[in-house]
Amino acid sequence: MHKLSLFVDQSSLIYKIDPISKMMYAMIAFLTPYILPHITAAIAITALSFSLLLIGRVFRHIVPILGVSLLLILSIVIVQGLFYPDNATPLFQVMGLTFYQEGSEHALLLTLRVLNMLAACGVLILTTPPDVIINSLMRLGMSPRVGYVLLSVLNIIPHMRATMARITEAQKARGVELEGNLKTRLKSFFFLMGPVILSSLNQTRERALALELRGFNAHAPRTFASASGAYPLYKISRVCVVILLLLVVSWRLYL
Amino acid sequence: MSIIQVENLKYQYPSAEHLALNNLTFTINQGEFIGIAGANKAGKTSLCMALCGLIPHFFKGAYGGNVLVNDKPVRDTPLNNLTDLTGLVLDHPFTQLSGAKNTVFGEIAFGLENKGVPRKLMLERIEEVLHLLHISELRNKHPFTLSGGEMQRVAIASALALKPDILLLDEPTSQLDAARTTEVFRMLANLADQGTTLIIAEYNIEKMALHCHRILLLNTGSAIDFNTPRWVFSRPDLNEHGIVPPLITRLAKSLHIKRDDGLYPVETREFNALGGFVDA
Ligand SMILES: Nc1ncnc2c1ncn2[C@@H]1O[C@H](COP(=O)(O)OP(=O)(O)OP(=O)(O)O)[C@@H](O)[C@H]1O
Ligand SMILES: [Mg+2]
Repeated sequence: MHKLSLFVDQSSLIYKIDPISKMMYAMIAFLTPYILPHITAAIAITALSFSLLLIGRVFRHIVPILGVSLLLILSIVIVQGLFYPDNATPLFQVMGLTFYQEGSEHALLLTLRVLNMLAACGVLILTTPPDVIINSLMRLGMSPRVGYVLLSVLNIIPHMRATMARITEAQKARGVELEGNLKTRLKSFFFLMGPVILSSLNQTRERALALELRGFNAHAPRTFASASGAYPLYKISRVCVVILLLLVVSWRLYL
Repeated sequence: MSIIQVENLKYQYPSAEHLALNNLTFTINQGEFIGIAGANKAGKTSLCMALCGLIPHFFKGAYGGNVLVNDKPVRDTPLNNLTDLTGLVLDHPFTQLSGAKNTVFGEIAFGLENKGVPRKLMLERIEEVLHLLHISELRNKHPFTLSGGEMQRVAIASALALKPDILLLDEPTSQLDAARTTEVFRMLANLADQGTTLIIAEYNIEKMALHCHRILLLNTGSAIDFNTPRWVFSRPDLNEHGIVPPLITRLAKSLHIKRDDGLYPVETREFNALGGFVDA
């Protein structure tokens, strides 16, 4: 079944860090450029995230994500370089348009923030399965209902995709026209959605009954089958994250 | 010792025009293995839902009479308290999966986690039911990728892991092959011996005849009979209730092989002991 996640299934140092530490890291890294508006801080924390991706051996998986964000970065550079309100010092000219130094510097900061955010999230998301992230949040006190919804979406969307593919095959075998112009495609879309929606509506009620009987609404505090302490670097990573936080905060205070 | 008492139970679904359950009265003892038999729409599923409290707590509609589980009236007991006592496996195995777990192991853990069972005990229970249903090798598979029969066994395992006093199973073997069906029935019979009360709605008359202590025969919501398999399957009017008796019983009827009490045998050994001969 095709999975609905960016998780890369392998092992490396970063995989031995517990999800909460990684979440804390992602959060701190994300906030650092805002806490410390100086460009050096943004460069440092972004470099740190990319190093972690390298150590985690998931660097090449962040590249396509960066590629997608390239458009955003490009537009930031153009807009800020040309129109940043504090623009005063011309830097260079392209086709009669003047790029200014102030705007370009600001664009660099914004670009770093984007890269930093992607890299920081990448450290968490590429090396932690989504259900593990959600389960850790539930352990931290997130409502089991919210957890259930998130988890079931993760599971049900790939399943619905597989069902759609199966039904498409079946419809084709029965001679329903699934290719061709927009009108035939639209018509066949309804042929296709009918059974999918109907069957999932029926299933939803029965599943609700089943959940009820398996104590989904029980008032007892939840327990967890998965071990919480199966991460060898659990303690040291917490310590590192706290040190990082202290560094960022004290840098800010003594700036 | 009676664990379930049903008194004049009547029930009609909100949108329905007829009673789904029509004036049922019976008692079930702890550790009994009960089979519910009847044609389509006889009310088997509805009865299961009434015994575990989904009727009237989930399905509204017209409700009359009383269902007592452990002397507590189902109607006045919150569903949450009832689910500690009773488990139910419905007939479409796919919908019995939580949909929130990506391994069979996690799926079985789901109910235990909800009920706050301590982790150590939880792991023991999961291992136990994986073993009981012969699904240990499925433990790391995604539940949605299982075959219907595998899902069915996972659903039974998930219900069993909660160690209910009463386990209700609605057509639990409909997607299992003959060997698996035999396995499941044997396992259920063992559970009943150990004190779990089992109630199973099934079309597999052969297996019910072999393992169930008593058969409740339903027809359009009414109880026609509630007695031993021998008694129920010896009835001359089974045809009217959409039931075909076990092969051995049919054979005995046509050969006039009867017990002293006038009932027909329902299993091979007894058939042979009465002078028939079938190779077991
Ligand atoms: N959700 C519902 N809403 C309205 N009527 C229902 C509902 N479920 C069942 N019924 C009706 O209640 C009666 C008993 O149905 P029930 O499903 O209990 O029978 P059953 O013996 O389980 O049948 P089957 O062998 O087909 O599973 C039927 O007449 C049916 O149409
Ligand atoms: Mg039914």
